[in-house]
Amino acid sequence: MIAEAGMLASDAAPGKGRGVTPLLAMTGVGKRFGAFEALADVDIAFLPGEVHCLLGENGAGKSTLCNLIFGIHAPSAGEMTLAGAPYRPAGPRDALSRGVAMVHQHFSLINELPVIDNLLLGGRLGRLDRKGEGRRLESLAQEFGLTLDPAALVGDLSVGQRQRVEIVKCLMKRPRVLILDEPTAVLLPDEIQSLLAVCRQVAGAGCAVVLVTHKLAEIERVADRVTVLHRGRIAARSDHPADEIDALVQAMIQRPVARDGEAASGVLALPKRQRPTPLVEAEEAMQLDGVSFLDRLGVRRLDDITLSVDRGEIVGVAGVEGNGQSELGAILAGLMRASAGRWFAGGRELTEASPRAITAAGVGIVPEDRHAVAVVSGLSLADNLFLNRMRQFARLGLIDRPRQRALAAEYIRRFDVRAEGPLIRFGSLSGGNQQKAVLARELTTPDLRFLLAAQPTRGLDIGAVEAVYRLIRDAADGGVGVLLVSSELDELIAVADRIVVFYRGRIVGERRADPANRRTIGALMSGQAA
Amino acid sequence: MSVASLSPSRPPLPASILRLLFPLGAVLAAFAVGMAVVVIMGVPLDKALFAFWRGAFGNAYAISASLNRAVALALVGVGFVIANRAGLTNVGGEGQIAVGGIASTALCLTPGMASLPLGLAFIIPMIGGALAGGMWGALAGLLRARAGANEVITTLLLSFIAIWLLYWSVQSESLLRQPMTNSATLPESLLIPDPTKAPLLTGSYASPVTIGLPILAVVAVIAALALRRSLFGFQLSAVGLNPVAAARAGIAVGSTMVVALFIAGALGGLAGALMLQGEQYSLKAGFSSGYGFDGLVVGLLARGSIVGVIAGALLFGFMRSGGISMEMAASVPSALVGILQGLIVLMIAGAAYYVDREAR
Repeated sequence: MIAEAGMLASDAAPGKGRGVTPLLAMTGVGKRFGAFEALADVDIAFLPGEVHCLLGENGAGKSTLCNLIFGIHAPSAGEMTLAGAPYRPAGPRDALSRGVAMVHQHFSLINELPVIDNLLLGGRLGRLDRKGEGRRLESLAQEFGLTLDPAALVGDLSVGQRQRVEIVKCLMKRPRVLILDEPTAVLLPDEIQSLLAVCRQVAGAGCAVVLVTHKLAEIERVADRVTVLHRGRIAARSDHPADEIDALVQAMIQRPVARDGEAASGVLALPKRQRPTPLVEAEEAMQLDGVSFLDRLGVRRLDDITLSVDRGEIVGVAGVEGNGQSELGAILAGLMRASAGRWFAGGRELTEASPRAITAAGVGIVPEDRHAVAVVSGLSLADNLFLNRMRQFARLGLIDRPRQRALAAEYIRRFDVRAEGPLIRFGSLSGGNQQKAVLARELTTPDLRFLLAAQPTRGLDIGAVEAVYRLIRDAADGGVGVLLVSSELDELIAVADRIVVFYRGRIVGERRADPANRRTIGALMSGQAA
Repeated sequence: MSVASLSPSRPPLPASILRLLFPLGAVLAAFAVGMAVVVIMGVPLDKALFAFWRGAFGNAYAISASLNRAVALALVGVGFVIANRAGLTNVGGEGQIAVGGIASTALCLTPGMASLPLGLAFIIPMIGGALAGGMWGALAGLLRARAGANEVITTLLLSFIAIWLLYWSVQSESLLRQPMTNSATLPESLLIPDPTKAPLLTGSYASPVTIGLPILAVVAVIAALALRRSLFGFQLSAVGLNPVAAARAGIAVGSTMVVALFIAGALGGLAGALMLQGEQYSLKAGFSSGYGFDGLVVGLLARGSIVGVIAGALLFGFMRSGGISMEMAASVPSALVGILQGLIVLMIAGAAYYVDREAR
């Protein structure tokens, strides 16, 4: 049975682990970063011999949880015990010496050195015992089936092999708890299979393996138990994850469980959109034709995406994050080129177009990473409102500031950006107002025909979420085609007309945006064929 | 007086009282340390101070020389601030001065240059120096934009190349070395003809302030205006603060970087031309003697402000003159001035760190 978080809050070692002393236990653990609560009330136990998966979307708190265990951050509340003894690691070094090891998402290897020297890194000062380390490597290889050529340069290895070096580096220290933070994100399918086999074996040796992932297929294969995090809290646990995948997906993508009288969802209060019947024949606003993308490592992130968005239509892209949505966003923004396929907007081919040409074609982009791509936080609100159109105020190379301020003030009113004035530093605005400002800029793109809105409500409070969606809907009602990428399925169902589901870079299904289809869409998101 | 009163859209200007007080305090403290050192060395303090004062401000000639030094420093500093607005750190001022000096010398000594009318005789070599320095800077910009090569490294290494180019130029008769008439002929260029020399504002060698001062004034006003009000200045800021967002907004990030370093280099080259045409009149090894690096420090201290550059350049320019005089008249090594400059930098940087932290 899936256990709702609230029901189990007092149970430190739930399910089949009852009676076994957990290797690592957390009780009431929380972590704040300033005003942001990354984790709250986490009770969790990792048992010897189990592969324990942490499931959750980006920002759910998985990485924070791992960083607490590995001593990178200190918890702001709660207690941790390691094999029954109090555990408060002062840092990763301390954690390692207590038998807690972690494989990070990003490798910490030196490409120019051979495998064996990388394994020796971080050891004691003194003589480098390559021979002894080589012998230990060999015995480890036999034990876990992790073969590695000690003399090979890390730079020559494939990503899967490099990760294997990282894992061996951890195993050399004979850890009791091994944390793997999204280890499969960078791997090819067969590499994933062998990694999962290694996890199994390491657990078989009595270790507790903590595997962070948001891929459900992996859970099905390897997990003994699963804990689902949602917005920093435990949303569900399962002792028989393979049988309860559907329920786990629902737990992962839900709005937070209503607690302490807090409203469960603001978006569901939005009335279901009634798409206006087009007066004329439907006209395509944007069209993707067989778009694929291979990243630098040759991993296929987008696979033959064909999709069109009509003017006045809102198409939702559902999917667990990391299934190609970010890559699609970067291609539409002109920041990356598709490896194959073409795309069009407003009747123009934009496959090879620069960001400027894309904007000129009437395409507005609200990127998923606002701070990195959409705005310059150190400049003023007014400057950011016209970041790509400052030229309109230029006279003999000088910016007509009064005119810019006046137009900025108008946008600020029209899009209800709450700010102390156009000259305020953009970075000092709240997230919701920042997003409204980005929307203001993109929605006022001259001749706007198509808008990509990627995760436009991430991190926003409920009021801002509604405001953002109202703006997007108004744009669609005005004839703009909208592609709305979101990991919040409920929001997609409320706002979009139809929903396509991304899984491993492919479109695996399409459904009408109807609450009745929620469960099927969830199943598609988890990679189960409908 | 809190930093909140600053215009938030720009990098902080030293407009607040705090930000003015700190540099002032740092300078006073550095001078106190300097006087202590002089006393410890056993040099009578009054003698040393008098020599310093005479060298820096003692007469019209001293003041003029100090001003000319400040002009060179300020040009390099303004260039540094402009490139820095685009997130680039130009440490190649020394090399840009050198190629500016080489180009200016070559043009001044070009047959027929001296007989050009309307001041072209001195204007063309100045422009040539600026262009040469600009290309030197733009080269680093290209390497950055095309290959991602760090401009701190490339501008520095290009400086070494430029300095050896300078040696080569003054050592080789086929380049700029004066004809060798006897074994005592120095490895220098010929003296440049009078019409190619930078005109003196007063027309008298008793107070040899050159045309460099009004040129700097014009450059500084244009630079300040461009940084605050122009489309180009806006693009520099956007590229410097977030190149990805700038690229997404359709700003040509690569060419903005190249142009920024071109301007920085051109101002360095202009400084070199002015040093040659306004002060030294012949090219020799050791032509620049640290103006590029002092100008860099002036730019760093100014923290994005053109007014700050001018203030810093005046301070360092007068300190340099005073230091030289102190060495000659009171045998206090002029290296002391270098130490004091270092102290000022450390104290101002430290103070700025705390002011910024308080402001958060």
